[in-house]
Amino acid sequence: MSAAAGVLLAWLARVERFSAFLAFLVLIAVVFLDVASREVTGTGLHWALQIGVYANFFVVMLGLGVASASGSHLRPQFADGWLPRSWEPFVGRVQQTLTALFFIGFALVGLSVVAETRELGERAPVLGNLVWPLQALIPLVFFLAGVRHAIYACFPALTPAVASALVPGAE
Amino acid sequence: MTTTAFLLIGLVLGLLVLRQPVVVILGAAAAFCYAVIGDGKIAWILVDAWEAANRELLLSIPLYILAGNIMSRGAMAGRLIRISQALAAPVPAGLAVAAVLSCALFAAVSGSGTVTLLAIGPVMYPALVGAGYPRPFALGLLCAGGTLGIIIPPSIPLILYGVMTQTSVTDLFIAGLGPGLLLVGLLAAYSLACHWRLRTGSWNVREILAAFRSGSWSLFMPALILGGIYSGYFTATESAAVAVVYAMLVETLIHRELGLRDLYSLVGETVQLLGALFPVLMLALSLNVFLTYEQIPEGLVRNLSGWIDSPTTFLLLTNLLLLLVGCLVDIGSAILVLAPLLQPLAEAQSIHPVHLGILMTVNLEIGYLTPPMGLNLIVATIAFREDFWTICKAVVPFIAILIAGLLLVTFIPELSLFLIR
Repeated sequence: MSAAAGVLLAWLARVERFSAFLAFLVLIAVVFLDVASREVTGTGLHWALQIGVYANFFVVMLGLGVASASGSHLRPQFADGWLPRSWEPFVGRVQQTLTALFFIGFALVGLSVVAETRELGERAPVLGNLVWPLQALIPLVFFLAGVRHAIYACFPALTPAVASALVPGAE
Repeated sequence: MTTTAFLLIGLVLGLLVLRQPVVVILGAAAAFCYAVIGDGKIAWILVDAWEAANRELLLSIPLYILAGNIMSRGAMAGRLIRISQALAAPVPAGLAVAAVLSCALFAAVSGSGTVTLLAIGPVMYPALVGAGYPRPFALGLLCAGGTLGIIIPPSIPLILYGVMTQTSVTDLFIAGLGPGLLLVGLLAAYSLACHWRLRTGSWNVREILAAFRSGSWSLFMPALILGGIYSGYFTATESAAVAVVYAMLVETLIHRELGLRDLYSLVGETVQLLGALFPVLMLALSLNVFLTYEQIPEGLVRNLSGWIDSPTTFLLLTNLLLLLVGCLVDIGSAILVLAPLLQPLAEAQSIHPVHLGILMTVNLEIGYLTPPMGLNLIVATIAFREDFWTICKAVVPFIAILIAGLLLVTFIPELSLFLIR
């Protein structure tokens, strides 16, 4: 069971990382093309920054999963020693369970937001596209993060070693 | 209201003890505020967070972080160091001055304190020790020099401050230059005062020319980024995109230090960092909308106006608060949470928002060197394979220097504002 969960998490992390990579390439390309177009033709691409904003949204939402997978969420550690050391394994499970509940709770809230936006037929100002398909990434990513942390709570051995998100390459 | 405040504090403390990440703590605090103090509709948090993500200015953050990561992994840092060493050779304590200059030059392209330390430290540390500088001095100097990455523009914390307080990022970048140069000067002067007898050699014209030839592409990078922004030719976002493309082209095609596989891994590292930072940013902006809607910052100003009766009191208390916070919390979270609360208080004392932004950044920059959460201390233990306690002791004199710089920046606003007035 633990091995299957490990395979699932590894596969999920690969998909998230690769999708975020593609979104990042789109982000770089559109913002740079906007500048280049301004230099060459005298006018920028009016749609470029909005596409860039969406690409960035994909990058950071998928990045939430990547951060969970690498144990690199920002976390103040000064209160870590406030509970007795003997409670350690129990606290670890509670920690992951709470995080899982938070993400799944917010996934449900996200679903209601997406449903409302869909009902209203809300469209983006610059591109005129429907907003809800993009917003749908929020509940999806939160749900996947919730599942990931729930797996960590069930199988603590799969929990990644804590890495500092602010230190590149420290994972 | 008092009971609600105590419940909120209890919730945050409980989550801290149970080791929750900032994104969970902030999300839970926002949910509590919307549910208990607001109209009870928690969905507003995500509506506001979605609006927060829809800002073009935010695009500069991932791009600057990626540019910094590319340059720290590639050969640019080494080439900038060679130029600094060649130029500082005849100066007393020349190698130490070169280390500070290298940090400053790299800071002008990276926007991050840890990236600067990781890029410059591993090359300069053995060189400094080999040249006769005491180990603690070398450790302290490089840890402190690394922190220049967040005050010398482009700076990710300054962008975060600009986003949270709706202050012009270009103005913040321009304002960061004066304090950045002041700190460079102070660190160089301290090096000189401590080790004026240590001299590397004299100017070698051939070496200077060779260093410039090999490092010209690297040296052009800060000119491109800062020149573009300061001249008004690029916005911060455009400059970041140009920096990424330039760094990619130079490192893959000219220096040939990086391949496509390296770029994939660097983007992965950047995504990991963004995945940790951005959800916090989105929730903080959402909470900020709530606070503004409920007029909480105005209430705070009213309540504290009896205690804070002059700009000097405000500045001193702010410095104390931020130095303490810097010991416990990372700079990003600290700015996201505190900037919207401190800004109205500063405004009430006629303190320029740009000056406050610089002040916050310099304060929290010192937090990079203060235990238990000093990020550069932790990074240095990995980068230099030294004991954490040894590094903590080594940075003490440098903390004193940075605090002296902080006091100058605090009480001489013109140091920050002279270029934007």
